[in-house]
Amino acid sequence: MATAHTASHSATAHDHHEHEHHDNFITKYIFTQDHKMIGKQFLITGIFWAIIGGLLSVIFRLQLGFPDMQLEFLKPILGGWITAEGKLDPDFYLALVTMHGTIMVFFVLTAGLSGTFSNFLIPLQIGARDMASGFMNMLSYWFFFLSSVIMFVSLFIETGPAAGGWVVYPPLSALEQAIPGSGLGMTLWLIAMTCFIASSLLGGINYITTVINLRTKGMSFSRLPLTIWAFFLTAVIGLLSFPVLFSAALLLVFDRSFGTSFYLSDIYIGGEPLPNTGGSPVLYQHLFWFLGHPEVYIVLLPALGITSEIIATNSRKPIFGYKAMVISMLGITILSFIVWAHHMFVSGMNPFLGSIFMFLTLIIAIPSAVKVFNYLTTLWRGNLIFTPGMLFSIGLVSFFISGGLTGIFLGNSAIDIQLHDTYFVVAHFHLVMGSASFFGLMAGVYHWFPKMFGRMMDARLGYVHFWLTFIGVYMVFFPMHYIGIAGFPRRYYTWTNFEFSNMYTDLNMFVSAAAIVTFAAQLIFLFNFFYSMYRGRVASLNPWRSNTLEWTTPLHPGHGNWPGEIPAVYRWPYDYSKPGAPEDFIPQTVPLSATPESNLPHEQELVKLEKAIIADEETLLVANESKAS
Amino acid sequence: MYGFLIAVGVLLLLSIIWMVYRIQTLVSVVKGSDKKVASGSNKVNAIMFLLFLIGGGALMFWYSIKEFDNYNPPLASEHGAVTDQLFWITMAVTGFIFIVTHILLFWFPYKYRYQENKQAAFYPDNNKLEVIWTVVPAIVLALLVIGGWRAWSDITRPAPENAHIVELMGYQFAWEVRYPGVDNVLGANDFRLTTASNVSGVDFTDKNALDDFSSPVVVIPKGEPVLFRIRARDVLHSVFAPHMRLKMDAVPGMPTKFWFVANKTTEEMRAELNDPEFEFEIACTEICGRGHFSMKRVINVVEPAEYRKWLAEQRPYIVINPALVENLPADVKELADITISEYK
Amino acid sequence: MEEKFAFVENAEQPIAMHPKKFALWLFIVTVVMIFASMTSAYIVRQSEGNWLEFDLPEIFWYTTGVIILSSVTLHWSYLSAKKDELGNLKTGMIITTVLGLTFLVGQWYSWVALVDRDVFFVGNPAGSFLYVFTGLHALHLISGVIFLIIVLISSFKYEVHSKSMDRMEMLVTYWHFLGGLWIYLFMFLLLNH
Ligand code: HEM
Ligand SMILES: [Cu+2]
Ligand SMILES: [Cu+2]
Repeated sequence: MATAHTASHSATAHDHHEHEHHDNFITKYIFTQDHKMIGKQFLITGIFWAIIGGLLSVIFRLQLGFPDMQLEFLKPILGGWITAEGKLDPDFYLALVTMHGTIMVFFVLTAGLSGTFSNFLIPLQIGARDMASGFMNMLSYWFFFLSSVIMFVSLFIETGPAAGGWVVYPPLSALEQAIPGSGLGMTLWLIAMTCFIASSLLGGINYITTVINLRTKGMSFSRLPLTIWAFFLTAVIGLLSFPVLFSAALLLVFDRSFGTSFYLSDIYIGGEPLPNTGGSPVLYQHLFWFLGHPEVYIVLLPALGITSEIIATNSRKPIFGYKAMVISMLGITILSFIVWAHHMFVSGMNPFLGSIFMFLTLIIAIPSAVKVFNYLTTLWRGNLIFTPGMLFSIGLVSFFISGGLTGIFLGNSAIDIQLHDTYFVVAHFHLVMGSASFFGLMAGVYHWFPKMFGRMMDARLGYVHFWLTFIGVYMVFFPMHYIGIAGFPRRYYTWTNFEFSNMYTDLNMFVSAAAIVTFAAQLIFLFNFFYSMYRGRVASLNPWRSNTLEWTTPLHPGHGNWPGEIPAVYRWPYDYSKPGAPEDFIPQTVPLSATPESNLPHEQELVKLEKAIIADEETLLVANESKAS
Repeated sequence: MYGFLIAVGVLLLLSIIWMVYRIQTLVSVVKGSDKKVASGSNKVNAIMFLLFLIGGGALMFWYSIKEFDNYNPPLASEHGAVTDQLFWITMAVTGFIFIVTHILLFWFPYKYRYQENKQAAFYPDNNKLEVIWTVVPAIVLALLVIGGWRAWSDITRPAPENAHIVELMGYQFAWEVRYPGVDNVLGANDFRLTTASNVSGVDFTDKNALDDFSSPVVVIPKGEPVLFRIRARDVLHSVFAPHMRLKMDAVPGMPTKFWFVANKTTEEMRAELNDPEFEFEIACTEICGRGHFSMKRVINVVEPAEYRKWLAEQRPYIVINPALVENLPADVKELADITISEYK
Repeated sequence: MEEKFAFVENAEQPIAMHPKKFALWLFIVTVVMIFASMTSAYIVRQSEGNWLEFDLPEIFWYTTGVIILSSVTLHWSYLSAKKDELGNLKTGMIITTVLGLTFLVGQWYSWVALVDRDVFFVGNPAGSFLYVFTGLHALHLISGVIFLIIVLISSFKYEVHSKSMDRMEMLVTYWHFLGGLWIYLFMFLLLNH
């Protein structure tokens, strides 16, 4: 049996070509079509962006926390953006904020998280040789790479990168006269985002096709690990919402470069009236948030999926309410498309719409609540092992609660009047979306590192990393609630112009210091990550004693994942600590007929069905063998 | 410089911690304890969660109580009382959930930390429980939202007939304040008419515009409805009056509005806060460019009588700058001249 | 738990759809989303007033006819291929390609007609939207024509026949979709302009 046989034993029989892959450096590491390597490419690129995004935030936190500080020492990097007095240029401050948001939301938490784990885990956990189309998968990464390059270049151009906020509302983003970043920087932003959309769609189409078509024998939807459910639904959301962002961006391009008036009307700027009439800036906001809200779930769902898996494994307990978890993710998927206008309560849209969206927003809070209670119940009476992945997962649940609860304030349009666009919103989405998803990413890296690189990351460094980051994140974002309740507006270069906001210099200083420490703590992770890649302890095959399929592959799976037949699946992935079983876990590949001592009553009946499957298996094996000889 | 020093200090600290841990790892490999399912660190982590719960909780309560008056902005509008109440009700409900869930979340890790001789409970689901925690949050949320919905409908309903109109126009980077004058009707405007001396682009061929005037401060009466008519002439801006609990975007090409009743004068507020410098302020909360952080206007809330007196003292645009009406058609010009002469 | 896990789908392959065909359907979904968002934007914007009224170019009726006809001829070639009538297949493919190109030319003339009635790309969004709809659709149609030509060439190399229909099937799906999309857009414009 050739180790590298790419076609799965699926309907695509005619693709069934068995030949050895003679990979050279280029096809193995660069233009690879192996989903595992593509996943790692996404991960490394994501980490690169996380460092850049983090550095940008450190720079603007310096400005906010230490407004009197001399920033001359940044001159070698930032050049003209440091003014003669050694201060940050206010235009550049906005550019920093914008780039930070764009990078974190799209490049780190969408591509870096979904891209990494959907690619890496989908084939491994559903039992497939590779993605449905390795070529499209490769394209997906290279579109992302191209997008990254363009976005990165835009950081260094003369007029600076885009500076209209990550939501790039026109007219600010459409008019070069309004802010320098809306010139070339914005053009590059739009090109980069178009590539990014192409990348996401290529990836998403692949994920969905793979999950639906290439599951191994016995891997019914009710036996999918929650990770796969999450990646699958994330891809569905992306598929439905990214095209809308494309539409919004396309019309913006026409307004910027061709003089149309989709979003522009009645504008007098730079000492002259513009010819545009009849456009509507609010139209852009509708289109943008139709992507924008689902986007927050695109970022969050994979993290929740990863956490479900890790918490179950390390609690040595089945995830509580598997079905409820799936239903709530489905609910979130659907509802995420009908709440977008809660970002627009005071945008001037019809207040009646505001009422409707307030009620719809309320509904989406319910599945989120169900998920939290289910996590808690999974921990209850478990036998918890605190691997770094587990710690980060518990951290995620904490952030999800803290940030989710503040959503209840913001979803209430009457309360949102005061809180909208203040630091309260910043605190809310950094906890629920930023930190929660970031912790999901970290949990995933610690947990699947042994599968990615065949070595273990150092657990103790992981603990230190976790505690510094966990405490750090709360130190950074919790105080922002107070600042927000006090009314401090977001995207402000300084607050000293106003009486209502000229206090809290101490608190802001504290936040900035905490941000710097938290950022520095990530160096521990970086060290651990790269060091362990080469020098870490060699991992055992199933280091967390987990049930899912990826742990049945060899330590360094080749292209094709399993050397022989793909294992068939006989049970759901959460048979942990089953009463009667000798071990506290039963992998999905163990037939029910092999575990009569621990089967539940209804499972005994399935044993018969299962016998048929195994018989099938055998005929197939025999057939293959005769073909091979 | 602070930041830099702190960063360096932290880095040093971290590298020391790292070395200690590295050595420990080697020791544990020698001792063979890395082969065990859960090492001694398991207990340390479990205890850390408890400590975090207690420490973090204490810090939160201490700060929230100590700073209450600081982060709670003074209130001076009628609808603000309602939204503030909603805010604090929501705070009570969510605060309760926050505390309970976090106690469970951090106490379970301690209570159920790994023990070799123990086995976890096989407890895959319980429909009753799940129904309960779907339905109960749904009811609680519904109650909260219904309160919000009633307040929202009330706040956004059309302004009363007698509301005093003030126009706020956002531009890079200031607010232009225009009053409708004695007729309480704003004159028409057109962005193409904007000039340095006609910032708002007022169309003076509309006779309603003849008594319009501008003011550097937003002066409004206490206890009477005021309607802000809000627009923008270049990019998006947003009117934010924190003490009035008021916020509304200013959109080019799409005028918006917000009406409210201020229920404290600036003087009263100064007395109450014991701060003679206190002012009600307007800021911008929609990113609009370089000067976004500096778009300030002061709102001066005065007693109604004082307001009327102030109104009577104001001089329309065309009185201050008669050049504005020089080239008007004869009939309006005549009216304009009459207005001008009235103010002489 | 009990009943829920009692339904074990037995161990056959999940669904037997060619992954590439499935991917094509997903691609179609993204295109649908683009046009759905565009047409919703149109409605939202139209409801705000200040909307230029004008008559749609009559040529749209003819191009609509052309594209329906092309779907018919393509389907005929598809059926021919299935029955291994390769001569008919080639004829059908050639006619379809010509009709596809005719449609594109027709759409170009609709722009000329728009300019004639003083509706420009730059100006009132009512006109701009029309250009965007037709332009975006034409772009997709160009991709369809390229696909057509690819399959046309392979049909001349006798690579399309009853045993090798995957590409042909995908082409038919895509082309019918593009035709349907145009009919939707045209109807939409008729009802909402
Ligand atoms: C559970 C995952 C959630 C994520 C990932 C998330 C993410 C976000 C993000 C990124 C923003 C910032 C938008 C901006 O740029 O201004 C935001 C704002 C908002 N969130 Fe959430 N959110 C979540 C949950 C909730 C919940 C449960 C609610 C309500 C019950 C909610 C309601 C809101 C509202 C109303 C805003 C707009 C506030 C404003 O603009 O003033 N969110 N959310
Ligand atoms: Cu949202
Ligand atoms: Cu602003």
